[in-house]
Amino acid sequence: MILVIGARASGKRAYVESLGYAPGQIADGVLDDKPVLYNLQTITMADPEGAPALLECLKTKEVVVCDEVGSGVIPLEKARRLGREATGRLCCQLAKEAAKVVRLVAGIPTVIKG
Amino acid sequence: MNILLTGGSGCGKSSFAESLVMKFPLPRWYVATMQSYGAESEMKIARHRAMRATKGFETIESQTDVGKIRLPRGGTVLLECLCNLTANEMFDAEGNERDPYEKILREVRALSRQADNLILVTNDVGSDAEDYSESTLRYVDTLGRLNAVFAAEFDAVFELVCGIPICLKGELPQ
Repeated sequence: MILVIGARASGKRAYVESLGYAPGQIADGVLDDKPVLYNLQTITMADPEGAPALLECLKTKEVVVCDEVGSGVIPLEKARRLGREATGRLCCQLAKEAAKVVRLVAGIPTVIKG
Repeated sequence: MNILLTGGSGCGKSSFAESLVMKFPLPRWYVATMQSYGAESEMKIARHRAMRATKGFETIESQTDVGKIRLPRGGTVLLECLCNLTANEMFDAEGNERDPYEKILREVRALSRQADNLILVTNDVGSDAEDYSESTLRYVDTLGRLNAVFAAEFDAVFELVCGIPICLKGELPQ
């Protein structure tokens, strides 16, 4: 599995398409049988407590794409705080499992693992 | 050796910090700055305690005034974290605000002089575009300035991304 992370609009989707995936192979914020899951953070921010249980399913994906959501001021709202933490922790687990971790900054991919 | 660790929420700073400290001999001091505000912070404190339980840390609770800490003998200090310390020094329970910049610089430096190694954990709170109050923006500015000064003074700086350390300055201790 390849983990692709980076800020919102940092070029993650274009990078995944450059790997040869067609738009029809990319699921957007839903867990289905497509090989690529994009916008993982929409799932984890909506249900932080359920995030750890996603790991097993995500390990079977070819590519998992997630926004980095942990930067900036710690939010006052508890749900957003927990969502950021849960997303970050799940990404730490995914990074351990991943053969490769790629971080996008301004459209430029940097391989930070693998 | 002094090392600064930065990164967003849940990026693996604590566990990486502890793995770094384990490279150094005893004694290992954990300076805990988090104030408990109820169940959520209690859970976080308990999680951090469990991570340190088997690692030979001696915990020093110091929500403010880290300059008052006297280490009986050198060793390695893990101070977690500069974001809490800055908030605690800046705002009191009544909501009064003061500028903690010089005090924190002075006190963290004083702590560092007593230690053989200091691992300082901070956070990247400036990377969003929310419309915060003037007071919160002063906090963001203060922490950003402190991060920059400590990064300049320290031997090594790492950003944690999904648990992966990205070297911004220096190198890992052997």
